[in-house]
Amino acid sequence: MGGIELRNVQKSYEVDGTLLPVLRGINLHLKENTITVVLGRSGCGKTTLLRLVGGLEKLDEGEIQFYTEHKTAFVFQESRLMPWLNVWDNVKFGLNNKADNTVFIQNSINTVGLKGFEKAYPHQLSGGMQQRVAIARALAYEPSFIMMDEPFAALDYFTRSQMQRELKHLQQKRGTSILFVTHSIDEALLLGDKIVMIEDGEIKSELTIEAGSKERNLLEPEFIERKKQIQNDLGE
Amino acid sequence: MRTIKKTKPFIGIGIVLIVWVFVTKFEIFNSYVLPTPTKVLESFFKMLESGELFEDIFISLMRVLKGFSIAFILAFVMGTFRTLVPSSVAYYEHILEFLRNVPPLSMIPLLILWCGIGETTKTVIIVLASFFPMYLSIVKGFTSCDGRLLEVGNVFGYTDFQKFTRIILPSAMTDIIVGMRIGMGYSWRAIIGAEMVAASTGLGHQILFSQQMSRTDKVIVGILVIGIVGILTDRVFVFVLKKLWKGSEEHGWN
Repeated sequence: MGGIELRNVQKSYEVDGTLLPVLRGINLHLKENTITVVLGRSGCGKTTLLRLVGGLEKLDEGEIQFYTEHKTAFVFQESRLMPWLNVWDNVKFGLNNKADNTVFIQNSINTVGLKGFEKAYPHQLSGGMQQRVAIARALAYEPSFIMMDEPFAALDYFTRSQMQRELKHLQQKRGTSILFVTHSIDEALLLGDKIVMIEDGEIKSELTIEAGSKERNLLEPEFIERKKQIQNDLGE
Repeated sequence: MRTIKKTKPFIGIGIVLIVWVFVTKFEIFNSYVLPTPTKVLESFFKMLESGELFEDIFISLMRVLKGFSIAFILAFVMGTFRTLVPSSVAYYEHILEFLRNVPPLSMIPLLILWCGIGETTKTVIIVLASFFPMYLSIVKGFTSCDGRLLEVGNVFGYTDFQKFTRIILPSAMTDIIVGMRIGMGYSWRAIIGAEMVAASTGLGHQILFSQQMSRTDKVIVGILVIGIVGILTDRVFVFVLKKLWKGSEEHGWN
């Protein structure tokens, strides 16, 4: 069995002397070469889950097991670019080696549609463009597993749909595994091979969407049906 | 608008000059207490001609650069150490706090005893005076690095040393530069004090000597020269730093 296994993952934060449980025993299997979307309203613990898998925080209890070795990248909610580096050097930042990666870097920048902005500095870009640089930085790293924390939240509608399509396309081409956190049901339905609904630190339900060859259309009856089901599960 | 902006500083200087001329013209103060601007200017040119002024400037400048460089290296090394080994702070923070509050000039009697009246004493005084502002700025720059950027380093598998050189150091650059400029200013203040007590050369000595000779005009020349040289070194300093870390301010990195 490949992928990543989460067993009874628990995490609490201490706030003002009292323990606030954020995740209360998550059991989840992240399959290889798929997009797993974690869906839930803000404060449900989805970002914490992502940070735990990414090793940015320590578990209180349970375990996270990687069955295969992964080169992991992380795209944060905010772009987190180095303000003293231009777009090119920010994308290069993740590579952390001296090899000639010119083609690589340029391809990543082109993919996120920022060709021509290589010399620009983060403060000269809009929030959405900064976020795209952050995505390019992750892509240039050529990861086999990407964790993404609402990466498209800062983008406008058109760029967002374009980036979603691009991500799906890249994922299928490269066979990358992705753990994607979002609060948008539409985004989850567009991207997810598996959608995990989280509420109050627990998995409420899971939904698998079999991979189709053509692009998903959320206006088709089956997706409308699924959207209703998710809304229902999340208690709307 | 641009010309107005450029002339504004000269208006301020002009007003001071006019007041000075006015006050001396009507002899509100004795010419010994406050010599006329022309008298000061005359002395200035005489001192330029004889070369004594250049010599004093050069000697003071060399002392400042030497003491400042040593202080900066010390501050940088200690600031780096403090950042990389934060648990060490408890051992020396009180000693540093104590030394920071001792005016370097109060150390002169001891330093003369220990190091003589040669160059060492002056260098030590400058180091004592300029070390702390630089050290504090450098530490502030290092410790205020955005933790979220450090996480990016973690995510891409950076080692602690790589995180230091590629995230902490560049993000602290502005604070380091500010610290260096303040340190340079403190160096100038300290050297003049040191030269007034324990020297036979330099701008500080020139001022004290002129006082003893009752040459108030030369005292004023000395003060003006110190101020101007101070401003010039700061400007040159900023110019060089901007060349080295080009675009730091224009690119929102400050």
